[in-house]
Amino acid sequence: MFPMERINSSHYYTFFQSDKERCFYIDLGQKLVRLSFCQLLALRQKVWSINIEDHFDEDANPHGFEIVSLCNREHLFILNTLEVLDLKELLTGAFFLLDIAAQTPSLTSRA
Amino acid sequence: MKDIARQQMSIKVESMDMLNAQIQMEGRASASYLAMASWCDQRGYNQSAGFMYKQAAEEREHMMKIFKFVNDCGGNAISPAIESTNHDFSSLEEVFETALSQEIDVTKSINRIVAAAKKNSDFGVENFLQWFITEQLEEEKTMRDILDLFEIMGRDGIALKLIDERISVE
Repeated sequence: MFPMERINSSHYYTFFQSDKERCFYIDLGQKLVRLSFCQLLALRQKVWSINIEDHFDEDANPHGFEIVSLCNREHLFILNTLEVLDLKELLTGAFFLLDIAAQTPSLTSRA
Repeated sequence: MKDIARQQMSIKVESMDMLNAQIQMEGRASASYLAMASWCDQRGYNQSAGFMYKQAAEEREHMMKIFKFVNDCGGNAISPAIESTNHDFSSLEEVFETALSQEIDVTKSINRIVAAAKKNSDFGVENFLQWFITEQLEEEKTMRDILDLFEIMGRDGIALKLIDERISVE
């Protein structure tokens, strides 16, 4: 693996960029996941479309878990409420630092 | 550090999100026009039906234009899921009133994206949407002109048939 630069860290996760490989890595604790830019956009879309309010609704999401597949179902993660929120925070910060987000990113904009 | 993300995508992620929402809206508008076309077709308003079929195709074209733009800019265009389209109308006038308010909603949404793009210095998006601003002015005018016919010619019997005959499909 080529050297990577840490872009952003949240409570549980860390986001890296590899200049040499022209890709990104997310350390999700149990696993280090390699993502191309379009895979990163797809992950962002998936995480943003999670309705966190459902986690507090017994009928909508009784167990408070989300199954998130990454990189065209190459990886599968089961995240709890705090981990989903943490991943949202990680990605919001990362996109801001990668200079493709607006000046004032908002965690709640698509939550 | 290399600017890999910026090299891959020319627009801001916020613009991409808003454009994806717009894709959804245009898709919904297309489905809604199709429902209106069906209503008109079933009641013998042939010109109006033709007009609505054309509008449905146009809205889909708009959707595709934005869809392609998002992908061309390196973004992630999302194919829209269309749910619950209204098929119930009480009159031909209500069909066109619904069409006008739908167009106004689209105009407002486009304006919001342009304003946000301006604020975020995302000038490529702002420039791309200029065509849509002009297009929406035309769309609103077309619907208003048709609704004016109801004021002029009335809302009963033969008046509806005469109005229908005046709806241009071209």
